Amino acid sequence: MAETEEEVDVLVQRVVKDITNAFKRNPNIDEIGVIPCPEARYNRSPIVLVENKLGVESWCVKFLLPYVHNKLLLYRQRKHWLDREALVDITCTLLLLNPDFTTAWNVRKELLQCGVLNPEKDLYLGKLALTKFPKSPETWIHRRWVLQQIMQQFSSVSRNRKKQHQAEGEQADPERIQQIRDQLARTLHQEMKVCSDASCRYPSNYNAWSHRIWVLQHMAKGNVKVFHDELSSMRLWVSMHVSDHSGFHYRQFLIKELINELSQTPAPGSPQHRSSSVHSGSHSYSCSQSNGELPVAEAAAAEDADRQLSFTTVLQVFHQEMELCSDLIQSFPGHEALWCHRRHVFYLWHHWRREHQQNLNGSSNSATETVLVNSSDPGSPPSGGGVGEGPSADRPGHAAEAMDEDRALLPEPRDSKRLKRGVLMPGTPTLSTEHNFVSSVLDGCCNLEQRRFAQAYRKWLDTVIGQQL
Amino acid sequence: MGSFILHGTQVKDVIIKPDAPSSLLLDKHADYIAAYGSKKDDYEYTLSEYLRMSGIYWGLTVMDLMSQLPRMNRAEIIDFIKACQHECGGISASIGHDPHLLYTLSAVQILSLYDNMDAINIDKVVEYVKGLQQEDGSFAGDKWGEIDTRFSFCAVATLALLGKMDTINVDKAVEFVLSCMNFDGGFGCRPGSESHAGQIYCCTGFLSLTGQLHQVNADLLGWWLCERQLPSGGLNGRPEKLPDVCYSWWVLASLKIIGRIHWIDKAKLRSFILACQDEETGGFADRPGDMVDPFHTLFGIAGLSLLGDEQIKPVNPVLCMPEDVLQRVSLQPDLLS
Repeated sequence: MAETEEEVDVLVQRVVKDITNAFKRNPNIDEIGVIPCPEARYNRSPIVLVENKLGVESWCVKFLLPYVHNKLLLYRQRKHWLDREALVDITCTLLLLNPDFTTAWNVRKELLQCGVLNPEKDLYLGKLALTKFPKSPETWIHRRWVLQQIMQQFSSVSRNRKKQHQAEGEQADPERIQQIRDQLARTLHQEMKVCSDASCRYPSNYNAWSHRIWVLQHMAKGNVKVFHDELSSMRLWVSMHVSDHSGFHYRQFLIKELINELSQTPAPGSPQHRSSSVHSGSHSYSCSQSNGELPVAEAAAAEDADRQLSFTTVLQVFHQEMELCSDLIQSFPGHEALWCHRRHVFYLWHHWRREHQQNLNGSSNSATETVLVNSSDPGSPPSGGGVGEGPSADRPGHAAEAMDEDRALLPEPRDSKRLKRGVLMPGTPTLSTEHNFVSSVLDGCCNLEQRRFAQAYRKWLDTVIGQQL
Repeated sequence: MGSFILHGTQVKDVIIKPDAPSSLLLDKHADYIAAYGSKKDDYEYTLSEYLRMSGIYWGLTVMDLMSQLPRMNRAEIIDFIKACQHECGGISASIGHDPHLLYTLSAVQILSLYDNMDAINIDKVVEYVKGLQQEDGSFAGDKWGEIDTRFSFCAVATLALLGKMDTINVDKAVEFVLSCMNFDGGFGCRPGSESHAGQIYCCTGFLSLTGQLHQVNADLLGWWLCERQLPSGGLNGRPEKLPDVCYSWWVLASLKIIGRIHWIDKAKLRSFILACQDEETGGFADRPGDMVDPFHTLFGIAGLSLLGDEQIKPVNPVLCMPEDVLQRVSLQPDLLS
């Protein structure tokens, strides 16, 4: 048992080395943890490597942490010299034990800037720290900084190459550009995986989810395919984490971005148009878009068809999301996160519909057929006919207004989801279908929480949405 | 208080036991804070050194709210703050750590409590804060560039306490914070991020200090904030999270700022906060029965102050400092009525 200062010194230096060696021996370590073990047993290292898991016996942490902590601070005050290798090892040990030690991450930023560390290595260290501390704000902050370095590196490489080629009167090297794009795609994919893992380890992990949003905003801006893929892959996740408000908020973010992209009708040939084209099969990561090396877009004549397809996609996105939300609310009663999700999705839909009413009316395919909004809804009360009859006596005024608004609005979804379940589907939600949904939930529901959330949703529809009509 | 486990679902909440503390143990809390700083060799103390300056602000503010500030070692603390100011003007959490806006604000708050702003180079602090503003109006937390609405709050709170708000581009700063407003009336850390009670506190506080509270949709935001109250009386920071004393403060302070504090059940919240006290050690925990710490102790006491407890000095909801201190520096942040 180490007691004197000298003994602690020797012990700790050995442990720091053991940790470094463990990483050399197994570069695939994927999780760290502290092994509860109040006293040193046997004469062996407190660093345990089993398969890909690195464990530190708890008895040594109280020696280890203050030691590496003080060493680094003395170095920072220029009272004690550490060479680069020692700095790498010490900050590694320190951050695995206390990842919110901001200054240690800053030391690594400096090491990265002078080329001692590479960005991938630091992303890896952060990933490991997150296996034990999935919320650690400083770890996420450091990741964003590292990712920015990677993006800057890539964009300067591709810029330089392009310049070089232009000078030589050639086209930019497509192979190299493709390589960069693939690398960025891999980094993006890995980052999503790190976020997923941290989100599974800690529910409603604000830092993990807001990081994920940041990553998409900075590394996949305008890339409809990535947003689509995320939306699909998250579907199962949220279904299995129905109380995770952050997970649902992420879906709301995806939907919002997706519909913004899909609703833009820029001039053909503009970069925006290309990146937002729904049939774009290629990964067009943000750094490559500005270079304009994507294939030239379809002719102007195709634009109208494109827009139609985009609008249909938007309608589908909303329809599917509301359906998912209804299913989850009915299957898992009493979850506030689900009702919050419903509010947000309906709000997005409500605003999108108002904004694009003009476009929809103007497009060739709009107003061809009033989607059978209410009469097809099995839950709706009989209102004496179809949509076209205007306000009817037994409906609250706001529902009638909403119906009027719906009438001239919706193009017929071409690939028709309307025959699902053998009845004509309502294309999209309206205030009255939402009221009907609330009524159907409240009907015979004895779950008090579910009732409370349903009633709050109704009140929200009446006040927040009702006032905006 | 009875059980709140309801039929069918498990509400994410705590149950307050009948024997939980129900009266305010002020003397115990003062003793707890006074003793906290003396355990400097503690392993836990090392672990939290990266936020020491804020820790000192929490401890001193809660002592001042309980009228016990003279028990703390003023000279030692002021020397410590001096030693934490860097060449660039910024202040670090502790000696040898790097400067950051978070700890710059904490240091300025402490010096306001002690009425001793001249202990540090104020012009340099102002220069540091100003230098962190970005083109889009946002603020980086330090020279490495992380952006967060928390830092916007730190920047304007620091400058407001120093009476130097005019040194930054306030319009741009406001524009950025407003770009983080969500459909539910709340705010997140960056544009597009989820609403979060802590971020809402920072953003409403920011808008108060910049005189822009009219930009808040107070009814909508008030609604969201009130939905944070759980059957136990405690408040959470986001839907389906557990109640927590610190979120109780952030939600309550935000409601106070936007003039909607009467929308929640104050008596129930008071019971919840009181139940988070540790009768033996003093101090408050996040939830009844958990370990206490200075952070939750400040927010427990500050929350009770906002709820009108007369044994505690009135607290300012925007800066989480005693009102008498703000009167001394002639700072009166706006509140909606």
